[in-house]
Amino acid sequence: MTDKIVEKVAVQTEESRNQGRRAFLKGSAAVAGGVMFTKAASAAEGAGFDPKKAVAPYAGKEEITEVLQDGAARKSLGFGVRKYPYGMPSPFEKEVQRRTLEWLTPDSMASITMTPLQSLHGIITPNGLHFERFHGGVPTINPEEHRLVIHGLVERPLIFTMDDLKRFPSVSRIHFVECPANGAMEWKGVQLNSVQWTHGMMSCVEYTGVRLSDLLKEAGIKPEGKWLIPEGADAAALTRSIPMEIAMDDCFVAYAQNGEALRREQGYPIRLVVPGCEANMWIKYLRRIQVTDTPAQHREETSKYTELMPDGTAQRFSWYMEPNSVITYPSPDFKMEGPGKYYIRGLAWSGRGKVKHVDVSFDGGKNWKEAHFTSPVLDKAWTRFEVEWEWDGSEAFLMSRVTDETGYVQPPMPQMRQLEGTNNVYHRTAMVTWRVHAWENGKSGGMIENVQY
Amino acid sequence: MFSTKKTLVAATVASLFAGSAMAMSGGSDNSGAAGEKIDGKYAANFEQIIKDANGEYLDSKVIEAILGKDAAYGREGLAGKLDPANPYSFEVDDSIDGGNHGNAQCKVPLAFTEVHDSVKANYTNDSDFVARGFGTPIAESAVQAKWNITVDGDGRGLPDPSVGMTVEEGAKVYVQYCGMCHGEFGEGAKGYLPLAVEESLIASSFDEPAPMKTVGNYWPYAVTFFDYIRRTMPFWTPNAPYIGDAGYLGITGYIMQSNYIPLDAEGTELEDDTFYTSELLMKNNKFMKNQGNFFCDHRPVIHNARCMENCADEQVGDGKGNIHNYKQARLLPDGTPQYNVPQRMHEDPPGVGHAGM
Repeated sequence: MTDKIVEKVAVQTEESRNQGRRAFLKGSAAVAGGVMFTKAASAAEGAGFDPKKAVAPYAGKEEITEVLQDGAARKSLGFGVRKYPYGMPSPFEKEVQRRTLEWLTPDSMASITMTPLQSLHGIITPNGLHFERFHGGVPTINPEEHRLVIHGLVERPLIFTMDDLKRFPSVSRIHFVECPANGAMEWKGVQLNSVQWTHGMMSCVEYTGVRLSDLLKEAGIKPEGKWLIPEGADAAALTRSIPMEIAMDDCFVAYAQNGEALRREQGYPIRLVVPGCEANMWIKYLRRIQVTDTPAQHREETSKYTELMPDGTAQRFSWYMEPNSVITYPSPDFKMEGPGKYYIRGLAWSGRGKVKHVDVSFDGGKNWKEAHFTSPVLDKAWTRFEVEWEWDGSEAFLMSRVTDETGYVQPPMPQMRQLEGTNNVYHRTAMVTWRVHAWENGKSGGMIENVQY
Repeated sequence: MFSTKKTLVAATVASLFAGSAMAMSGGSDNSGAAGEKIDGKYAANFEQIIKDANGEYLDSKVIEAILGKDAAYGREGLAGKLDPANPYSFEVDDSIDGGNHGNAQCKVPLAFTEVHDSVKANYTNDSDFVARGFGTPIAESAVQAKWNITVDGDGRGLPDPSVGMTVEEGAKVYVQYCGMCHGEFGEGAKGYLPLAVEESLIASSFDEPAPMKTVGNYWPYAVTFFDYIRRTMPFWTPNAPYIGDAGYLGITGYIMQSNYIPLDAEGTELEDDTFYTSELLMKNNKFMKNQGNFFCDHRPVIHNARCMENCADEQVGDGKGNIHNYKQARLLPDGTPQYNVPQRMHEDPPGVGHAGM
């Protein structure tokens, strides 16, 4: 359902974007059409739609002659309203699930699951498939008892109920949220043949909430207040230091996700949204924002989420997620269906703004073809791309490469490895490669394999 | 200006990686000149250059126009980025705790003009703002009593120096509440992280396992450890009153001792009968082994042009133009993928191939 709505929005957006161009084309087409009509009527040259061409690719396919029978759904009544007061996907979709790798973490309370990107369409992740990352399990918090405090270097410390927050002007925006460890298992080489494992530590949803700048201004930041230390109300009481520039740029405190209240896994009743930045900064179960003059140097910004370089030094405060992209179809969960036409689809995103171009290579990066967008192109959000490919059945190496509106071009893996080595867990945002096995290759013909340069 | 130690590290890095990084960028002719150009010589009109380029501040041509052609590429560009005056630097020209930790802050680079424009619109220049009054005022003391348990890198928020216990007593508390998961001597257990492992942070080859990062060899601040364990440990009942500030300080003392963190420049170590308090913690805080080796986000030092056809070998396949030289996921004899085998055999702690989610 959500997917359908998004598709519709995508089409509408595409239409409005093309309106200027289309109006122009319409003018010229009207003339051409008129001419064509006259010509066709007089000489029947077949210049317009050619029905023979349309059916030509079916020429070699065997016709089905067996009489179609009604299925069970046609022979009996379906179930009535309110069988599921909160709707569920069809049982035939039961394999579309968040999944985890048991060897990643020693328990399920400080763990992670990945979103099944290979099964998603459009740019919205359904709430039930949003990836999970907890540091101390999921609390079930009564919103009536939950409070948000803003204190520290402010003119007037304030406390807010959830109802107070909803009285403020609201903002709804679609953003991706990505764990900086997304792709971390593949610094030293490939090991996982699914886009769920290689890129699934992220999701993209519509958030609704109140601008953080509105709340901070409400409390009145003192001139020496330069940093925020947001903190969660869960067992992990997670903290990160956020510079005032990022807080005042486009952060907000969200209470809703895809039109309904946040799910507990994503921070119910409220979470911080820090568009484009590492997901660990998006503090869930937000209960306190301390305004300070310096960063706190807490565990999740010193011991963790810092990046060990090959010379033993480490990067810290790597806030922004780099532009990144991946082909979701075909990807290792699929198999090619024989030589012919394919519409390569995938996702591109950038923590620094809008996606500008996505290019796809079929030959390991030698030559590139620009893809077009089939979704709205939004700031710090997934963007769905598609490009036509005529597969001749020979071995191919598929890669996608994003360029964002800041002009940054996604690098190939050897270049990133050269720079950052392989000991760094986080921000592995270089291109990945899907090897399409030649169609005439025995049992593995048409297989799609995750390989790494 | 900025920390000498860090500059030195970056310079070593630059020379180590100079060859390959420059080859990648195709600008190998002037590799020797890079050091001179990055020394504070940035285009003063960088804002105008970015504006003229429609705000594309990370476009390779814009970066070259602002930083100079040789200054910006690969690991070599790092040395320049440590200079806070560099418009692309995340570094801040200050030192919070007297220099032991070098530069403790980072910032959004000046070249990220759209962020700064947005901050001006939402905050700095928003003179029309009128508070709505939907919140309720609360006394700072009401927050401090229970909720605010934050201790920062400078030790603000630590318990009174009279609170504490001996390192030996701390070890007993540790063994009772922490040892079952982290090992009696901090060596790790049941897949949970070790807290005291002597290991170099430099692996000699890309194929070696990534180094284990623990309190002793990696953490830049000792106070972070106290803040973290009091905030989140023991895992099943965090911030436990039966441990209390004295107990959390005792555990901290034991782990500092296990990691041989000294109290002063002479290397004075914690003895079993040392009464460990916030005062000693602040001494340890100044002598963490890895403290000077952190620097702010250096990305993106990679800035490629968007090539569409017949791209250069550096950008194709294995980085040398060969598209058939790739790594595959290997299979075990039973057909399962050969990934993270030590983790799956419970020989190594769980983790993304590097212990430590």
